[in-house]
Amino acid sequence: MLALAIGYYLLAAQIPESQLADAVGPQGLPRIYAYVLGSLSLVLIARALRASSAEPISPPRSGRLQPALPGPPQDGHYVQEENAPEPGQSPEPRGHSQVLRAFGVIVIGAVYIVTVPWLGYLVSLAALIAATTYYQGGGLNRRVAIVSVSGALLFWLLFVAILGIQHPAGFWPSLF
Amino acid sequence: MLESLYSTWIVPAAFAGVAWGILGGALPGISPSITMALLLPLTYGMDPTVAIVMLASTYVGAEYGGSIPAILIRTPGTNAAAATVVDGYAMKQQGRAGEALGISLYSGFVGGLFGLFVLVMLAEPLSNVALAFTPQAYFALGVLGLSVIASLSRESLIKGLMAGVLGLMISTIGTDPVTGLNRFTFESPELLSGIPPILVMVGLFAIGEMLAQTGEAGLQAVPERPRIRFPGPAMWRRIALPQAIGSVIGTFEGVMPGGGGAVSSFLAYNEARRWSRRKDEFGTGSPEGIAAPEAANNTVACTALVPMLSLGIPSSNSAAVLLGGFLLHGLLPGPMLFVQNPEVVDGLFLGLLIANIAMVIVGYLIMGPCIWLVSRPKPYLMAFIYALVVSGVFAIETSLFQVGVALGFGVLGYLMRHVGVPLLPMVLGVVLGFMVESNYRRALVLSDGDYMIFMQDRLSAALLGFALVFIVGSLFRHAVDARRGNAVGSS
Repeated sequence: MLALAIGYYLLAAQIPESQLADAVGPQGLPRIYAYVLGSLSLVLIARALRASSAEPISPPRSGRLQPALPGPPQDGHYVQEENAPEPGQSPEPRGHSQVLRAFGVIVIGAVYIVTVPWLGYLVSLAALIAATTYYQGGGLNRRVAIVSVSGALLFWLLFVAILGIQHPAGFWPSLF
Repeated sequence: MLESLYSTWIVPAAFAGVAWGILGGALPGISPSITMALLLPLTYGMDPTVAIVMLASTYVGAEYGGSIPAILIRTPGTNAAAATVVDGYAMKQQGRAGEALGISLYSGFVGGLFGLFVLVMLAEPLSNVALAFTPQAYFALGVLGLSVIASLSRESLIKGLMAGVLGLMISTIGTDPVTGLNRFTFESPELLSGIPPILVMVGLFAIGEMLAQTGEAGLQAVPERPRIRFPGPAMWRRIALPQAIGSVIGTFEGVMPGGGGAVSSFLAYNEARRWSRRKDEFGTGSPEGIAAPEAANNTVACTALVPMLSLGIPSSNSAAVLLGGFLLHGLLPGPMLFVQNPEVVDGLFLGLLIANIAMVIVGYLIMGPCIWLVSRPKPYLMAFIYALVVSGVFAIETSLFQVGVALGFGVLGYLMRHVGVPLLPMVLGVVLGFMVESNYRRALVLSDGDYMIFMQDRLSAALLGFALVFIVGSLFRHAVDARRGNAVGSS
């Protein structure tokens, strides 16, 4: 984040001055944002350094109150669920292998973006569905193939035929 | 208002939105905001009122949908349905799943109607100050909205503030609002008009969540298909008090930033138990234990729109996505919405009324498809969600570049989850950043650089005062929480 703040500040400094500029100017608030982000990053770094030099006692962590699962709450009370994410907030941290696995999903999306102008929407989307299903542990068999093709047809019907959105057709029209 | 009922597609939009919301809410891990974010690109070509009604109806439906797996497979479909698990699943084990689902649906309907009444009563009076809004007041309103970040950052104030500043930085990409100079565009024509908030929301919420769920186990299949049984008059009387408790708590939590359905449903459950004559039944299959949280979270689905509609400040993820829907259609929620686009506001109120009625009908009919969907293997569900995201984002401006940007924000959202940075502050920064900067600079142009203009305008001064009180209050709460944490740690 500190590097991002520095990079953003340097980019903000390169914004040219304009004769139309007001007192604040186009650089004004971006510079302030960079200062604030940089300062917050430094505070976070300082905290992390202080925590790493302190004894390795895990501090109490906040979590939401939740009834004990799987059973009903004891005497109607809640138990503190450690590290439970707040709505819209972060779940527990994961291992590096899971992070890498998650990024594989993005690679599938990136391949889709690259291939769709060439292969066309229908074929690329069927490939995306098949690849994602396989990647998520669904195997690679006839059922996956049928679901992928019919799924792509369903999306084509919805977006292209019904909503009239011109998704890339690929090289197919040139063949006919 | 009735004219809009006949002249537009509000009724089918409300029904379709509710159906989509119930299906999305019934899928554990797919929150109401994600369900709405997935639908958002599809609404691009629609009439604005119809699109907004459909999105708001999705929110209403999702709040009920979350209770279906909570009752049937002890897995809440949404955070807000977690409180329903306790007594809902206990009733299911007693062979009363249909009755539990009926109570959930009926209580959601009651809570939704109450929330709608509050929304209609509060939103318009709050916005009546519209004509008094000057650039400096708009700036102050934006600052008030950003001050919400302090209360949203429960885990770490620093991380929440960083997310907010990141959002503000993203909002500076594109053409400068005063001089017209390009900023942070890297000579890319696609970035000239900035990054649309919808891409940030779809990326952070939908794609980020999909990445977070990669490699996680799927769900168990639903073993039976119960038939919903609506409560009779005797049960109406029994659950009236917990419904009232849930509705009142849902009202307060809905308008409070960061409150949301989950907090309100747990508070409602606790208070319903406290006021119940049959306390001992709670936890063993009490209908009251379902009625209170379900009434609360459906009340929130309407009351969360009060600050969003009247002030343009989203108080929850779902409200933020709905705000994205407004922006997508060129509408700016806030004081002027009631003046410039009253037909949209009227249509939304009417649509929410229809949505709450539709929830009862669709909720009854859609049970079969819902159970079928929840029982699908997770790899297929993920693949179809991914296909919907890439197709929907492309549909906004038929741009593959935007699909790439959304994927980029998906990665960012995943990383933010990974290191414990809350998402909503960043969305607030993106949504409010332009308003804050453009009005701040306009005000200073008007005053010839005199900063006292923000204090001389009464409305601006009052809003900035509120923001200060809000920030100080949140900091105080953080300090108290930290002190309590230290005390617990040392003991």
